[in-house]
Formats: sequence, C-alpha cells, structure tokens
Amino acid sequence: MKITRRPLLAAPALMLAGRAQAQGAPIKVGTLLPLTGVAASAGNSAKAAIELAVELVNTPRPDLASMPLMATTGFPAIGGRPLEVVIADQQGSPSVAQNQALRLITQERVVALTNGYQSGLAQTASAIAERHGIPYVNGESVATNLTERGFRWFFRTTPIGPDIAAIYVEFLKAARIDGRPVSKIAIVNENTEYGTSIADVIRRTAEQGGISIELQIPYAANSADVSAQVLQLKGAQPDVVIFISYTSDAILYARTMRAQGYRPPILIGDNSGFSDDNFVQTAGDIAQGLINRSAFDPSRPGSNSFKINALYKARTGREMDDTTARMMQGFLVACDAINRAGSTQPAAIQAALRATDLSADQLMIGYRGVKFDDKGQNTKASVLLVQLRGREYVSVWPTETATAQLQLPYKGWE
Amino acid sequence: MSAQIAARALTRGVGNLVLGVLALAALLCWPLLVDNVFYQRIGALVMLSALSASAWNLVGGYAGQISIGHVLFFGCGAYASLLGYTWFEWAPMVGAPVGIALSLLLATIVGTPTLRLKGHYFSMATIALAELARIIVVNSPVLGGGVGVSGPALPRSMADLSFISPVPYYYIFGGVLAVLLLFTWQMSRSRMGYYLRAIRGQERAARSLGVPAPRFKLYALLVSAGFTSLAGSLYATMVGFVDPDSGFGILLSVKMVIAAALGGAGTLFGPLVGAALLVPLEEFTNAMFGGGGTGITYVVYGAIIVFISRFAPGGLAEILTRLQAWRARRAG
Repeated sequence: MKITRRPLLAAPALMLAGRAQAQGAPIKVGTLLPLTGVAASAGNSAKAAIELAVELVNTPRPDLASMPLMATTGFPAIGGRPLEVVIADQQGSPSVAQNQALRLITQERVVALTNGYQSGLAQTASAIAERHGIPYVNGESVATNLTERGFRWFFRTTPIGPDIAAIYVEFLKAARIDGRPVSKIAIVNENTEYGTSIADVIRRTAEQGGISIELQIPYAANSADVSAQVLQLKGAQPDVVIFISYTSDAILYARTMRAQGYRPPILIGDNSGFSDDNFVQTAGDIAQGLINRSAFDPSRPGSNSFKINALYKARTGREMDDTTARMMQGFLVACDAINRAGSTQPAAIQAALRATDLSADQLMIGYRGVKFDDKGQNTKASVLLVQLRGREYVSVWPTETATAQLQLPYKGWE
Repeated sequence: MSAQIAARALTRGVGNLVLGVLALAALLCWPLLVDNVFYQRIGALVMLSALSASAWNLVGGYAGQISIGHVLFFGCGAYASLLGYTWFEWAPMVGAPVGIALSLLLATIVGTPTLRLKGHYFSMATIALAELARIIVVNSPVLGGGVGVSGPALPRSMADLSFISPVPYYYIFGGVLAVLLLFTWQMSRSRMGYYLRAIRGQERAARSLGVPAPRFKLYALLVSAGFTSLAGSLYATMVGFVDPDSGFGILLSVKMVIAAALGGAGTLFGPLVGAALLVPLEEFTNAMFGGGGTGITYVVYGAIIVFISRFAPGGLAEILTRLQAWRARRAG
C-alpha cells in the first residue's frame, strides 16, 4: 500500500514547511445539507464535520496516517491541489435540492456531490447529478430504493435498511434467549421515506425471524404534540418499542413519555434523531438505557474514530454523533476516489469509486470496509448497538466488540 | 387641444407597444442569452411560479376571492402525474388531465357552497380542504404516504419530458403561461371580466344590478383550478418527485399569493413580474447565504417582502401607477 509509506516522506517536509500549504487551484466538492428547516440541527453538525474533513485533507496529519489523504497535503496524486468544499442548503425541499445540485455542478464546477440527508432529497438531487454525469456519494440516506434506480453515478457508503433491521432482530432474538419477553413489539415511525422504509424492513426481517410486530404507529415528524401516540403505547403495553424519528420529534417523545410516566422494558431509538447531540443533551437525562444503532464508536482510545471525535469536539464542543460521522465518512470516500482518479474528470472519478476497496483501518467509522456493488451500495457497511449512559453512548452489542455491559430494562429518568 | 391629447395617447400607445415587444423578445430569448444552466433553471422556475400565480390571480386578483388553499389543485396535478407513473407507468404528463378533472371536481365542491357567501368563508374553506388533502395523502400508503411518489428515475422516452437542460422546460412552462395570459386578457375585456371586477369592487351592488355573482365566481375558480393543476403536473414532470409538503404544503399556496400580490393582484402581468422578482430572490439569497448555515436566507427574503408590503401594499403595479401619476403631474 502506497499510503503507509507516505508519512515517512511527508514528515521531513512537514518539519521544514511547518503547516505546508497545498499547491494549485482548489478542487471543489459539493455538499448538500439541511441547514434550515426541521433537520437544521443535523445539517449544522454535519457542516462542522465536513469542514473538519477539509482541514484534515489539506494539512498533513501523521497521527491519522492510516486513513487516505490524511498524512499528505491536498490531493497528492493531482499535484497536491487543495480540497475546497462548497456547502449548499437544500432547505428540506426536493425542488431546492435539485436547484442547488445544479448550481454546484454548473456554477461552482464541483467534481463530485456528496450527502443530501433526507432520502427524498438525496433522490431528486442525485437525479440531477446522474443527468449531468457527476459522481454523487451519499453517506447517510438509508432508503433502500436509492440504489435500486439503475443509476451509474450514485454511490452510498452507509448501512441501509436490511443491515439495520438485521442487527435489531438478532439482538431481540438474543434477548429472547436471555428470557426477556419480546413477543409484543411496537414500531413508532415518522412517516416519510426514512421512517417508513426502516419500519417496513424491520417488520419484514422480524417476521422472517419469527418475531411479529403487533403495533405500528406512523406520525408526522413536525407534529407539535405526540401525547396521543404515547397514550396508545401505554394502552398496548408492548415489550419492545422501536422509535424511528428525527431530532425534534425524538425529544418530544422523550418528554411526553416522561410526562405520562411511560417506560417500556426495552426502548430502541433508531439513529437519526436519537443520535443527534441535541437529543442527548436536552433529553438524554430522561432516556437512560435507550438502545440505538450506530456505526461510530469513539470510545476506544487510539482508534481513528476516537481521534476524529476528539478533533471534532475541540472544534465544536460536542461529541460527534453517528449520522454526522457517516456523512463525514461518505465525504472522505469521495475525496479518496478523486485522488485515486488522479484527475478531476467525472468518468475517472466514477471509475475510481467503482474500484474503491478500503479496509476497516482506513476508515474513521466502524464499517468492515468500503467496497461498492454494481448498484453503488457499500457491501461492507455494518452496524453495532449502543446504549445511552449519562450523556454518552457506549457500545454494548455485538458482545465481541462491545466496550460496556448491556443494561436492561430501560431506565428512562431514574 | 384634442389633437394634442390624441397625439400624446398615440405616443404612449406606441411606447407601450414597443415596451411590450421588447419584453416579449427578452422573455423569448432569455434562456438563449444566458448559457448558464443554473440561470436557465431559475428562468424555468420563474415561468412555473408565474403560471400558478397567474392562475391564482384569476380568482384571487380579478374576482377578489382570496384563496389560500390553491395548493390543493397544484397537489392534485402533481400527484396525478406521478401516481399515473407509479401505478400504470404512464408518462407524467398523461396524468395531467386526470389531475385537472379532479381539481375541477374539488373546485366545484368547495366553490358551490362557499362562493354564495360573502366574506372569508371561501378563504377558510380552501385552507381547510388543502390541509385535509395533505393529511389524507400523508396517511394513505397507496398515495405514497409521507414518503411521496417518484417519477421515472431515468427518462424512458421523449414522452417523459425529461430533459438535461432546463431550456425546454422554460419554453413549455412559458407556452402554457402565454395561453393562460391570453385567456386572462380576453376575459378581462369580455363580459366576464367586467362582472368579476364589479364583484370585486362591491359584490352587493353588482348583484343588485343583475350580475350572477356566485356563478361567475365559480367559473373563475374552475379555470384557475385547472391551470393550477396543470402547473402541478409540470412541476412533477420536471422535479420527478413529490411528497405531501412539496405537493400540498401551505407554504406553496402562500407563495402563489405573494407572487401575485407583489407584482400586483388583478393585473395581467402582475404575477409574472412578482414571480420574476421572488424566485431569483429566493434562489440567490440561498446561493449566497445558504451555505453559511445561519438561516439568514429567510431573514433577507422575509425582510424584502416586509418592506414591499409596508411601502407598496398594492404591489409593483401600484408603484408603477404612482410613478406614472407623478410623471403626468410634472408634465402637466
């Protein structure tokens, strides 16, 4: 591997030049984020992470040398040209996402587009990239159909519905073996692409695994009140409740459950909203023992995840959450492909993306690696389960990689 | 003396004609003059926004019946197009007539009882129906639920009207807009136009003079609903995706009202002028400030609207009239 030799070459240069500046005109990569609207909190967390990624690519970081582009300055295979990110606000609107994608491609001349956040918006924005023949790397949108459209320019690094459902169902089966009742399961999902598709795939996977879903409650993420839904849960008394929510609604549920004094024995909060640091800070204290999925476990000192999280924390004062980490990883995969393409030609970048084969130690996140199938989906994406303790998530499952012991039942505010 | 007035009227007529021809030429050539694809797309969006605002203008401007639920018809068009694709693999525009038919039906249902009444009943009924439609769609998985429905991911044939360049969309939207404006112009000079203006001015007086007010208000609503629905279908064809918020969101209704009011409600070109200002304003504030993540886009956008409504509540048409009056005073 070329990359492992780089730090040795870069180190003397670093000593001489101090903070060496990258050479030549910057290479632009576009990023679509929800910086206003209901998902603004997640968008702004991601913005800080993307800006951190740019800084890391553009300055030599020997401490992160196992990751591509970190030990060097800019894009070494393209004459050391620096990376520049152009961040655009998609305002949570499918049409605006398209406008901005078009602006980034035609005005800003970005060589690749990344992220998009809401699945529906990643869908419309990537349609523009596809028509213009610009690579689109998505790191976070989980709707299965995104990679089922026959697109040639769309790549996705995140684990998707089936991966996520599989780990939940495995976990529930294990809990059943331990003697906990898991016969009554309720899913409460926000009703757009994200919530619906994850709920559907969990239902299917669970039923194949012999676990039936008794109750499903879809709701609108911008609801101002969810007491009806919580009352419905309280009445049904399920053994396991699985929430699939965005940030503001996740906080609202935690508060409403506290107000009504309702605690299910096992509470799973699927990623997006529950991973948001906003949720952890504002509602974490009343959601102790919440189980979440994550691909990002920064609790092991010395790991890339640990180092990146420390840098992010120094920058923002917050822990990096899973969604933000997946977005940053997607962005870094795009950058790595641009460098390996050795050119800013879209076709060369597309070919480099197809040839991507990153191993686990080259990533900042806990995937087994990054390697795309014909549809553009990462085949080596993986998930683990974490549990909320205080204001931190600790990894609890699978037990082989866990750093803490799983604690049941759900404690909530106690 | 009279010859002088006639001459002045003539020069003004010729002046207006020249101005009109120039404006038309500029509109026709716009996408060819800018080779920048993003500006071309903004042009197409202006046409689309002008189309729905002009459609709103028929009932909201000319007839003075303020509808704040026009997105109902827009959503019918957008959903009809994309559901036609999802269920039957139709090209998106094949669903447009279905959307129009549905919109006419809904317009009759909402208009027949409420347009008989004076005051705000019509406005309230339109909001209610639009929100009702949104909630029904959100809760109906068969209609795409909260997820929304997509058009063809990749164009299958020309019939899908899926273009890489925004220029064809510009001309398609502009063409439909031209038809609508021509109709509006004809109507404003016909009996119906006079009836509507009389109704807007003083409905009771108009009725006492024998204007069949409810019937003509309904006619205006029907034409308006049909064109709004068509605008929805065109939107869906271009964007290829619609969800409850982008199809039935109340913000869209409000944007139609703002575009028409900004340019001048009840004037022929008011909505077009309003859209030509609002859409670029929205896009450019987002392009300039959006990436900063401070939400300043909406602050700038909102402040401009506040200023306009404070200093020219009648829209740009009012400013123009004032300017003309001022010039006439100086000349006189």
